[in-house]
Amino acid sequence: MHEISLAQAIWGQVEAEMARLGGRLLALDVAVGAFSGADPETLEFALGLLAGRSDWPDAQVRLRTEPLALACRGCGAEFDVAGMALACPSCGSMDADPVRGTEVRLESLDVETDGAEADTSG
Amino acid sequence: MPKRIRLDKSIITENDRLAAGLARRYDAAGVLAVNLMSSPGSGKTTLLEETARALGGRFRMACIEGDLATDHDARRIEAAGMPCQLINTGGGCHLNAGQVGRALDAFRLEDLDVLFIENVGNLVCPAAFDLGEHRRVVVSSTPEGDDKPAKYPVAFRLADCVVLNKIDLVGATDFSVEAFRRYLAGVKADLPILELSCKTGEGLAGWFQWVTDARDALGRPARSGTRPGRPAPAKK
Repeated sequence: MHEISLAQAIWGQVEAEMARLGGRLLALDVAVGAFSGADPETLEFALGLLAGRSDWPDAQVRLRTEPLALACRGCGAEFDVAGMALACPSCGSMDADPVRGTEVRLESLDVETDGAEADTSG
Repeated sequence: MPKRIRLDKSIITENDRLAAGLARRYDAAGVLAVNLMSSPGSGKTTLLEETARALGGRFRMACIEGDLATDHDARRIEAAGMPCQLINTGGGCHLNAGQVGRALDAFRLEDLDVLFIENVGNLVCPAAFDLGEHRRVVVSSTPEGDDKPAKYPVAFRLADCVVLNKIDLVGATDFSVEAFRRYLAGVKADLPILELSCKTGEGLAGWFQWVTDARDALGRPARSGTRPGRPAPAKK
């Protein structure tokens, strides 16, 4: 329901980074938390729509969903949540703080530069 | 040569920025801001009417009322003695921080102790829009069914308190308080549940106490929980 405003914020961030980095944007990676309140399909659509209006209309939008991850207050274990199983698998406690999966993050950009410093990681 | 630039940056939306500004305004004025969320018809307005009547002598209170259409709820709250600023959202299914910021100009915040924000009746979208509030309350009611926490986990997970209204109707429905508590515990541990009936008055004292305690706690680090779009709290 607010995926367009999220997509605008993501592209704003991308444009700020590209102004700093220079070069041509090939792809962007976005992680959508399962408890972020954003719908991944709608966000992907909105990001694609805005890509067409950007300076890099051919940039590929790669989106992955990130499960809710909790840190148990009892034993400190970190665990991913599948479905509604929110209890700590180590000690059974229901008392945990979210460590991942509550937000939307811009993870990385693939950028084509003229520079010599090649990095083929990933 | 293509290269991958790692950023790993949380996305802060325009609403998040405006909400942070609202939070500063509440804090500067020393007013407790409470965001009430629920399905349509759970009893948010009736709860605020009762609150106006019961706590009007103790606190200076005001309300921002979000509704798609009509001023029915705003008029009811005003009639109960709480000044109310109406936001008609048209088709909008939630309040956003920009709307609340403009509505706040109707009040002198410094003259208030408690500001209630009655969100649009909807358990999905309001959960995604931070209004800078100190406390979030989800109101649920027995005719809606006992599995609401499981069906709307994001909204319930963000709550600081759950009001279970229309408890007087529990015998007339298939609602199980035990099942409701179990579903809720599956979403968030140790969430206060206030069982009450605005119709009969049963349990309302617990709500008035919760408001009073929240107001008294102002000044101490009060905000809790995490919001979509807001980074998780740092681990201790």
